[in-house]
Amino acid sequence: MGKPFGGVVLNSAFRVIVPFTIVYGVYVLTHGEFSPGGGFQAGALLAIGIVLARLVQGQDAKFNVKGKHAVMLAGIGAFIYAATGFLPLFFGGNFLEYSCLPVHMHEAAEVHALGILMIEIGVTLTVMMTIIDIMDALIRESDSDE
Amino acid sequence: MQILVIEAVLLLFLIATTIAIIMCRDLLATIVMFSVFSFCAVLAYLMMGAPDVAFTEAVISTISTIFMVAALRKISRWCKK
Repeated sequence: MGKPFGGVVLNSAFRVIVPFTIVYGVYVLTHGEFSPGGGFQAGALLAIGIVLARLVQGQDAKFNVKGKHAVMLAGIGAFIYAATGFLPLFFGGNFLEYSCLPVHMHEAAEVHALGILMIEIGVTLTVMMTIIDIMDALIRESDSDE
Repeated sequence: MQILVIEAVLLLFLIATTIAIIMCRDLLATIVMFSVFSFCAVLAYLMMGAPDVAFTEAVISTISTIFMVAALRKISRWCKK
């Protein structure tokens, strides 16, 4: 981090808030079955971390995802969701029927939890990258006009 | 009984914030009042026993405040009469 953040308050707030937000987002994602939360909220929390980094450090922040990569990763998230949905079709199940997933666990509930976790990861990636993309579009358009 | 009083106060806050949003001429102040409205809505959702909706509202109000401030750079801050 060679670049200063622009002030004592911004510096301290960035160093405290952003790692906490990221870790809390991952917690909300993986613990979403037992507590309030899930893919959408986790994606929005992770996106808040990156948007804060962009707000504090500017467009060339170290902790950043550029526009093209954001669109690509959003597509990958949708692909993870679709792949998890279509995979049981090849093993004799219906769309999104988790119990037909080709993994061997002790109980059927564990396979169910694994399928839901894959779905949530896809939703998280898509929501996070879409929010970053909207932010990118807003800032880029207002910069080109002035 | 106390729950009912707290809910009534929260709903009054919601109505007052909405009237302030409508009346205000400063768009930046409108955005700040909108985030106040979202916070009151979060508390109201919590009182009504929907923590999942409250969590979503809290996260989305943060994001939408950032978006609206970013969009405010394109237009002027004061709305015309």
